Amino acid sequence: MLWRVLREVEAAQGPLDLNELSRRLGVERSALDGMILFWVRKGRLVDDSGAGRATVACANHGCGGCASGQGCPFTMTMPRTLSLIQLDLDERTSSQARAS
Amino acid sequence: MCEYTIALVGNPNVGKSTVFNALTGADQHVGNWPGKTVERRTGLLRLSAAASGPHVAALLPAVTLVDLPGAYSLSAYSLEEEIARSFIVEEHPHLVIDVIDASNLERNLYLTAQLLETGAPLIIVLNMQDQAEGRGVLVDAARLSQRLGGTPVVSLVARRGEGIETLRKLIAVTVTQHAGGDSGMRVTTLAPRPQQIIIPYPAEIEGALAQVEAAILQSPTLAAVFNPRWLAIQLLEGDETLRCKVAGAPGGASILAALAASRTQLTAAYGEEIDVALVNCRYEYVHQLVLDVVEQTHRRRISKSDRLDRVVTHPVLGIPIFLALMWVVFKVTIDVSAPLLDWISLVVTGPIANWTVAVLSLLGLGETWFASLAVEGVIAGVGSVLAFVPVMLALYLVLAMLEDCGYMARAAMVMDRLMRKVGLQGKSFLPMVVGFGCSVPAIYATRTLDNQRDRILTGLLAPFMSCSARLPVYVLFAAIFFPQHASLAIFAMYLLGIVVAVAVGLALSHTLFKQQDESCFIMELPPYRLPVARNVWRQMWGRTSAFIRNAWTIILTVSVVLWFLLATPARGGEGAFADVPVEESLFGVASAMIAPIFTPAGFGSWQATGALLSGFVAKEVVIATLTQVYHVAEPTEVAAPPPTFIEDVQLIVTSFVQAISDTLKSIPLVIGVNLFDAGAEPAPTPLMNAIRNDFAVTSGGHGALAGLAFMIFVLLYTPCMTAVAAERHELGTKWMWVSVIGQFAVAWLIASLVFQVGRLLM
Repeated sequence: MLWRVLREVEAAQGPLDLNELSRRLGVERSALDGMILFWVRKGRLVDDSGAGRATVACANHGCGGCASGQGCPFTMTMPRTLSLIQLDLDERTSSQARAS
Repeated sequence: MCEYTIALVGNPNVGKSTVFNALTGADQHVGNWPGKTVERRTGLLRLSAAASGPHVAALLPAVTLVDLPGAYSLSAYSLEEEIARSFIVEEHPHLVIDVIDASNLERNLYLTAQLLETGAPLIIVLNMQDQAEGRGVLVDAARLSQRLGGTPVVSLVARRGEGIETLRKLIAVTVTQHAGGDSGMRVTTLAPRPQQIIIPYPAEIEGALAQVEAAILQSPTLAAVFNPRWLAIQLLEGDETLRCKVAGAPGGASILAALAASRTQLTAAYGEEIDVALVNCRYEYVHQLVLDVVEQTHRRRISKSDRLDRVVTHPVLGIPIFLALMWVVFKVTIDVSAPLLDWISLVVTGPIANWTVAVLSLLGLGETWFASLAVEGVIAGVGSVLAFVPVMLALYLVLAMLEDCGYMARAAMVMDRLMRKVGLQGKSFLPMVVGFGCSVPAIYATRTLDNQRDRILTGLLAPFMSCSARLPVYVLFAAIFFPQHASLAIFAMYLLGIVVAVAVGLALSHTLFKQQDESCFIMELPPYRLPVARNVWRQMWGRTSAFIRNAWTIILTVSVVLWFLLATPARGGEGAFADVPVEESLFGVASAMIAPIFTPAGFGSWQATGALLSGFVAKEVVIATLTQVYHVAEPTEVAAPPPTFIEDVQLIVTSFVQAISDTLKSIPLVIGVNLFDAGAEPAPTPLMNAIRNDFAVTSGGHGALAGLAFMIFVLLYTPCMTAVAAERHELGTKWMWVSVIGQFAVAWLIASLVFQVGRLLM
């Protein structure tokens, strides 16, 4: 079950929506959240929530658009992303063997 | 009669507090857990005679209910989980009530599985049954109880108080069993005693567990506190807190030795991931349990949001849908804002210019160079840019609506596929999408990418995304050269920006930036929703006000500097300061020296070149410069007296009403319905005529083609000085120069190519 989460993400070869992943695995969305949290703790998935909003360090170097004090007005609220950390080849082979 | 303690445990937000309140009423005490900042709530549970029956009421002990912090597991990953676990496995409450959200059964049962492993006496409360049934999920409570070896399961809807009395009775029965028995009995035998549930692990893990469990049983101190099997599982999972406790306990060393031996045996099969195998088994067990006890009354519903996503983020349809929506954005932006744009132009060049001249005349400054600076420099320069405020408002309004309804997140997903084709990692879409608003935050956003290669490559490509500051230039040139197809021409610019970014990205990823890392990731798409007016307004006004601030800072400064350069003669004896033909000014002569570079692109005049030069500072300045260098004035009636103040005010009001009326009439244009009278197209302004005539001359009669080439050049060369500074800051000086020179080369090449090929075809 847990391994299938990573396998599906890897097989998608692109961004995979959490709801879609939940359907593919046939598990409840909330249960999938738990599995993802586990992989985040294990370091196999990296939660990029903070990076989604591209506010970054414009404040002192930028165009002045952020002078309103509410941050850069051109940033967009982007979805939360969780990146899969790739293993090296040996580790991947043994992991896949165990998963199967 | 002894004190009786019951622990209430469950995932966060399962209605645990509602159950606690319903059971304890006002008899509550709130404090903190010792040494922690987590709230500890306890209450006195009254088991009335009504609930327990009069014959046992006298036997009932005082019962304390402890509301444990919400926890998803007993693995002690968080402070809350640590508190809940310690209380259950070390304080040994007489009974544990596990509150479960029936509508999220699978996740909640994971904690239940861990509770079963502790061996604690358990009652399961199946809350939120109504919500589960609303989703077509029927949980068979009897079957669940049977599958859990006879563990009592009570269904309830706590917020409505349904089932609370049944729970109270069950607790009373449990407590009564204790009260009626030997008071010296061990607590673990007091509650409804289900048969032992063993979550099955693979044989080699079971073997290892047996070894560790046997070692634990040799330590009476630990065996008295912990369930040996549970402790063995936790130690194999790599729980450091428990490992330390075991190490400090009598007999701990032999347990750790057994653990090390077991881990060594398991390493061959599981590597360093024994914990993954254990957790995975638990999830498998829970999944099978859910399949067994849940009846889906109707096929698992796919939400409207998901159905829409299947189309909107479709691998084939996604990009055409994105492009179609963008076309609608520009159609709305251009058609709806045009009347108000004309109105602001009229007010700035008419009444405001008149009033400024009148005030300066009163101060004795009329007919001086200062009056020229104020009217031809500041008002013409800044005013010509401010006229585009309605365009920006319309653009930002539509974009904010798309963002707030959740579409832009999908657009990012669609763009991701394109990014991969370019050889970029998926997350590069973020800076690229931000680049449609402004290149500066887009370049800074590259620091969110994982590696240097992608940061630099994305930083080089992001400026090709057409930022909103370029829009006024497109609007002006599209109105001059493609009045019938202005929206299409502007849309084509945005499309071309993407195409060029893709092409340059492909070229770079096959030459300078090889060795792309595959990146796979999960995205949490927000559900679609109706845009919230407050959010839309905040976005729209925030971005438009940034544009206005730019007009009063950068554009004002550039306009003043430009006026001085235009007012200063390049050579002595060819006019005085502020009284020199513009082509003989410092700016005119310097621009004329560079202008031949742009001859192959069809716009080799010093005016167009000068506008592009100042456009390095900021793209909005292009319009301000064109206004000043063409030095055109609104045609006025010969000998007509200047309008009075009242006449100017009347003009402002009547033209505003007309503009609003025209704006409303413009809305149906988006769907192709024209409510305007045939032939009612607004007359071109003197600036538009001047640009058209000049481009016709420099292009040898192919003015429209030269206009298109000019728009392309504006799209592709350096966005602004601030973007250059951002590139230097983020990518380093070397890549900054690569970007500036590269963008100039690409812009010149494509603009020249379009003009030359177009000329051959026409």
